[in-house]
Amino acid sequence: MSVTSGPVEIVLVYQSLLGIYGDQGNAVVLRQRLRWRGIDAVVTRVEPGDAVPATGSVYLLGGGEDAAQVSAVRYLTEDGGLFRAMDAGAVLFAVCAGYQITGRTFTVGDHDEVIAGLGLLDVETRRGPVRAVGEILSHWTRPDGSESLVTGFENHGGYTYLGASATPLGHVEIGLGNNGDGTEGAVQGHVVGTYPHGPVLARNPELADYVLELALGRSLEPLPNAEIDRLRTERLDWVRRLPPRAAATCA
Amino acid sequence: MTTMPMSLTGRARLRAATLLGDAAAVASRVAGKGTGASIRGQVLTRLAPSSFDDLLAGKRVAAVSGTNGKTTTNHLLAAAIRASLGAAGARRVVTNADGGNLHQGIVSALAKARSADIAVLECDERVIPDLIRAAQPEVLVFLNFSRDQLDRNHEIKFLARSWREALAAAGDRGPVIVANANDPLVVWSAGTAKQAIWVDTGARWTADAALCPACGTVLDWSDGPLGRPAWDCPGCELTQPAADYTVAGDDVTLPTGRVVTPSLQVPGAFNRSNAACALAAAIAFGVSLGDALKGLATVKAPAGRFAEAQFGATTARLMLAKNPAGWAEMLPLAGADPVVLAIDSALADGEDVSWLWDVEYEQLAGRRVTCTGPRAADLAVRLAYAGVDHDVIPDVFAALAAHPGHVDVMSTYTPFQDLLLKAGLR
Repeated sequence: MSVTSGPVEIVLVYQSLLGIYGDQGNAVVLRQRLRWRGIDAVVTRVEPGDAVPATGSVYLLGGGEDAAQVSAVRYLTEDGGLFRAMDAGAVLFAVCAGYQITGRTFTVGDHDEVIAGLGLLDVETRRGPVRAVGEILSHWTRPDGSESLVTGFENHGGYTYLGASATPLGHVEIGLGNNGDGTEGAVQGHVVGTYPHGPVLARNPELADYVLELALGRSLEPLPNAEIDRLRTERLDWVRRLPPRAAATCA
Repeated sequence: MTTMPMSLTGRARLRAATLLGDAAAVASRVAGKGTGASIRGQVLTRLAPSSFDDLLAGKRVAAVSGTNGKTTTNHLLAAAIRASLGAAGARRVVTNADGGNLHQGIVSALAKARSADIAVLECDERVIPDLIRAAQPEVLVFLNFSRDQLDRNHEIKFLARSWREALAAAGDRGPVIVANANDPLVVWSAGTAKQAIWVDTGARWTADAALCPACGTVLDWSDGPLGRPAWDCPGCELTQPAADYTVAGDDVTLPTGRVVTPSLQVPGAFNRSNAACALAAAIAFGVSLGDALKGLATVKAPAGRFAEAQFGATTARLMLAKNPAGWAEMLPLAGADPVVLAIDSALADGEDVSWLWDVEYEQLAGRRVTCTGPRAADLAVRLAYAGVDHDVIPDVFAALAAHPGHVDVMSTYTPFQDLLLKAGLR
């Protein structure tokens, strides 16, 4: 993204459709982490029928139900603003249902109707045998090879399979992730898709800063925060003490 | 089951199960584990699987369901119906006043008042289809549908569809529905009822009503009567129905056009809406307007909601908020400074607390806030990002002890029950 003089614009896309799991918190987290560093930032909310601005640095999609996914794809495709923004170098961070619609195809409804997605990520999603519900812990590998733990809560019936152009965001230690093959999420250029809620950027500030660095094209200094550290420690301890999920379901 | 002699008739089996359930309840109470209502229900439904149907047989039934406001509305409705029965009201009406709203809780309440001929029941959304089938209720109140415990209820619409199907199956023998006209999912769920009475509650939570439940089109929200948002589907016939009852401020306009101002002891705009629904249901049940209003005025702290309780030197007002829609209603009522917020993620609260980010805690800025409960750390991070000053005291009772004087305590379900138990309110 080229350097501009105005505030960094974070665009929260279709909260009314893709906002039932608290993922709007990702927008609050990104904005605050910039402001805490003295960088001006705003959140723009767009709803179906509004023009999606092409001026944003980061676009956010969140979790929602089947019918909402179909509507979101239709409105985003008709509008075109998101695609223009991506061409201009913006970052798209998509969670759960938002991750699924970012791919090439996904399925909805009782009869697994196949729907064409936005095609911004080389992944396909199909209904899996068991819904994945519970705390998830994965290991995220940055482009430079360094690793961080990502904690969150996954809740999805779709299983996502990566094509050759997409790279897994991380590898699952506990939970299901993409489809049970040990991978979680997908990255392709400036598009990042992932399953966990939490919201995931609230629980994982390093991932939040990575998204911002990708959007700004420069590195950001760390922001130590004891409360976030404490939450992470608590969640990591919790998920690692949980009985295996399949066994817990049988009980 | 197989240990029960086959010669026992259903009635005798129910009686035996009731005795055993009572014994288990006493044991549970003695052990300090609560009222025993839950264990009584468990024993009954285990030993007499048809107890739900059997205990409802022959009773006149009115019931309340929805995501938020069930317990309060049910208390209001029960009070209105009791007021119409004079001195016999207490004996003739049975209700699950403690809020135990699954099969077991309902069975437990019914078993304790076998001579009652009227049941006024709060029902979990999942119980409604069974209730319609088993009890042929006369009146059902449908309050609202919103996101709640999505780790268990993945699609909100699923519950609404099950109501629709149960009402269609009941046909002319089905109940009259008293329903919130402002909630598209509620209106759709009641669409197969033989008769619906619509209440324009002026409800403000619309975040779970973006799409038409019938056809999936994005709903239009424009100015309707009284300048309030009204919804319409541009893709099909579904539209906000014309109201029979309308709530505006403290007033309720009746179908006759007459305006009444119910006198209430429970606070907040949403309880005005709940009371209007209870009023409409009571009248549909045959209660006179005067008796209904008299009953509504008697309800003070339904199942401990809004009760003032003493914990050492701290006087706490106990407020329950379980999901974003509930918090949206409750936060403006929490006027005290400091305010204590208790968050848990036990089974009854929902395992995923991501919903904290769908609550506008920003409105607490400038107040002293204490985060407590097993998920206090999640709330603390939420408040940090919201710019709300706070401290964290994980133990609920330690958090209260830190604030001698008057506090408002807003809790998710499990901490709320713990507070009630400690205060001797359940």
